[in-house]
Amino acid sequence: MNNKRNIMLTIAALVILFGVACFVQAEVNSYVRRIINLCLVYAIIGLSMNVTNGFAGQFSLGQAGFMAIGAYMVGIFTVPVELRADVFYAVPMNPHLVNVYMPLWMALILGGVLAAFVAGIIGTPVLRLRGDYLAIATLGFSEIIRIVITNATSITNGALGIKNIPPLNDVRYIFMAAAISYVLITLLLNSSYGRAFKAIREDEIAAEAMGISLFYHKNLAFMVSAFFAGIGGGLYGALLGTVDPKNFLFTLTYNFLLIIVLGGMGSVTGSMFGAIIVTAGLEYLRLFDEPMELMGIAIPLFRPGLRMVVFSILLMVCVLFWRRGIMGTNELTWEKIISFVKHPLSGFRKKGVQGK
Amino acid sequence: MKMKKFVSAFLASAVALSLVAGCGGGDKKKAEEKKPAAAGAVKVGVFLPLTGDNAAGGELELRGIKLANKLHPEINGKKIELVIADNKSDKAEAANVAARLIEKDKVKVILGTYGSSLAMAAGNIVKDSKVPAIGTSCTNPQVTKGNDYYFRACFIDPFQGTVMANYAFKKGAKKVAIVQEVSNDYSVGLAKFFKEAFEKLAGAGSVVEIANYQTGDKDFSAQLTNLKAKNPDAIFAPGNFTESALLIKQARQLGIKAPFLGGDTWETQDFVNVGSKEVDGVAFSSAFDSTKAATPEAKKFLEAYAKEYKGEQPGGLTALAYDSYLIALNAMQKAGVDDSVKIREAIAATKDLETTTGKTTLNADGDPIKSAVIKTVKDGKFSFIDMVNPEDLKAK
Repeated sequence: MNNKRNIMLTIAALVILFGVACFVQAEVNSYVRRIINLCLVYAIIGLSMNVTNGFAGQFSLGQAGFMAIGAYMVGIFTVPVELRADVFYAVPMNPHLVNVYMPLWMALILGGVLAAFVAGIIGTPVLRLRGDYLAIATLGFSEIIRIVITNATSITNGALGIKNIPPLNDVRYIFMAAAISYVLITLLLNSSYGRAFKAIREDEIAAEAMGISLFYHKNLAFMVSAFFAGIGGGLYGALLGTVDPKNFLFTLTYNFLLIIVLGGMGSVTGSMFGAIIVTAGLEYLRLFDEPMELMGIAIPLFRPGLRMVVFSILLMVCVLFWRRGIMGTNELTWEKIISFVKHPLSGFRKKGVQGK
Repeated sequence: MKMKKFVSAFLASAVALSLVAGCGGGDKKKAEEKKPAAAGAVKVGVFLPLTGDNAAGGELELRGIKLANKLHPEINGKKIELVIADNKSDKAEAANVAARLIEKDKVKVILGTYGSSLAMAAGNIVKDSKVPAIGTSCTNPQVTKGNDYYFRACFIDPFQGTVMANYAFKKGAKKVAIVQEVSNDYSVGLAKFFKEAFEKLAGAGSVVEIANYQTGDKDFSAQLTNLKAKNPDAIFAPGNFTESALLIKQARQLGIKAPFLGGDTWETQDFVNVGSKEVDGVAFSSAFDSTKAATPEAKKFLEAYAKEYKGEQPGGLTALAYDSYLIALNAMQKAGVDDSVKIREAIAATKDLETTTGKTTLNADGDPIKSAVIKTVKDGKFSFIDMVNPEDLKAK
């Protein structure tokens, strides 16, 4: 009964949000649209990272590499054929690829599948490791992916990067991608696979004793995570209109680690909040970068870079007071929203209500 | 227990509240501050990497733009106000900030940036919103190619590579080797055009070896041993200054005597500090020579710089950033300050404009045609060797 109601509510919320996205696309200027798009793209990638790190409990830092695969698939296949000679001016593009064109959605899916495939190959040996060792190994593999891309000049244009990707600053498109990713990941996590992930996170030995195949489930989580990271990376490339290997340095991964730690490891809605707070919040804090005058005297502190200081302080406050992230492992469920609406005061700890 | 929870919740909300209050106050202040400015001032957007990996370069360029603004603060009686924004050396931020400058701050022209990939990320945005941008030191040809709204003040990789190829040929080199930093777009671009130009001059097969290394490499003995066997007359090794200096040092230790040639990234004191005696005698191209003022404008720039930053010599980056401001200023003097499309036309038509790095003319792609300086290191100091004009290259 409640379950059915929740599904209806979720569908309704998604439809309403899609309406909002259409409105935003039509009415709002391209700066705000870009921020919203970036929030959504980061939410997809944050979610994907949360599958391995938050739900299956495997501390992996390979997200930048998988994003790179997705972004490069979009870069290689969606640049209009007639503009490719301009891009590949140093080394001509591989003759087998030069006339292959794909629409964006196809390149996105291909990027996701390829990222998942690579993750499967990497995961087989690497996921035997635990904790810090796994983190180091995945970090290394993500760098390997980047270096392969740098050196495969006739396919990826090497260090020069690819530009002329048809720009995608369409809130509706990216919202749809984010919504689909959200629904698929939520369904997966609520299935028996998701429960197996959580069991592995809590205690590997106990999980194995209960008949859960560690190898299979860890690999599955890793591949699903890479798939969505590939899609997110592809959207990231399309949003910027250009990709180059330096984009996908391992430091990029920490962006998403920040998002999921802030949002809550093991919370889908938490990743969403984390992405929005980090992206939009950092943009909002830009006012600290601008010169400010107080009673006619310019305050010397207000110079470019201050917002990063302020942001760090805010993060420290967050970590001190919400040690497990804003949501922890909890979700923002319809029950909580409804009880909040009925008794706003009893839900003292719940903040911002957003229909998702 | 309950008490503790309450205290922490209280503290958290207090912090949050004070933050909101602080920001709110800031917004109001800003609105007040902006009003008088909007009435008369012309807004010029500056977007540079002021934090992150490229912050050092961004800071040097900001100096150039600020200095130019100080010396030329007005246009047709209106004050020019710089709107400075940080792109954090990050592509996504670069795109955001370009959109912000255009949509929120309503600038008519944008100056920046250091780093070609950052400029490319902003490229689509300036193109779509028809606001011209002038790059300070983004040298990748892709930045301006196929984008009518992106221009630049620096010369591009092909030109620099060609200049050095001509220089090597003039000095009697018959066969050369190239060592490129394969993960650096700048190095790859220079190497590619050096190879093309040199093979045109000295015939096919005159480039005997192309070796690769990665950014951050410390040991180059494998590449150098290979290279030594080929016995080249000169070695072209554009790249980051740290890696390049180490490379030259190790080459000398291996007994390679051939002179090293490079690009403008070498023009920094750190290059000499890392390379010490071994880098004496290298030759590299640069945009600007601070010991000899090429134009009256350059003289003005040097004097002002010496006054502002005592005891320091301006480098090429600062001069180029200064030039980008001059190009924008010149265009706005001709086209007025209201219509960014007209400003674009005027920038595209820039011809023989007197800048700190000689006379600047922009070609159809939006890249400047101007002379390059060839410099060397002598006793730990940079010194001028030669000047190469674009006409000289065509004549040969």
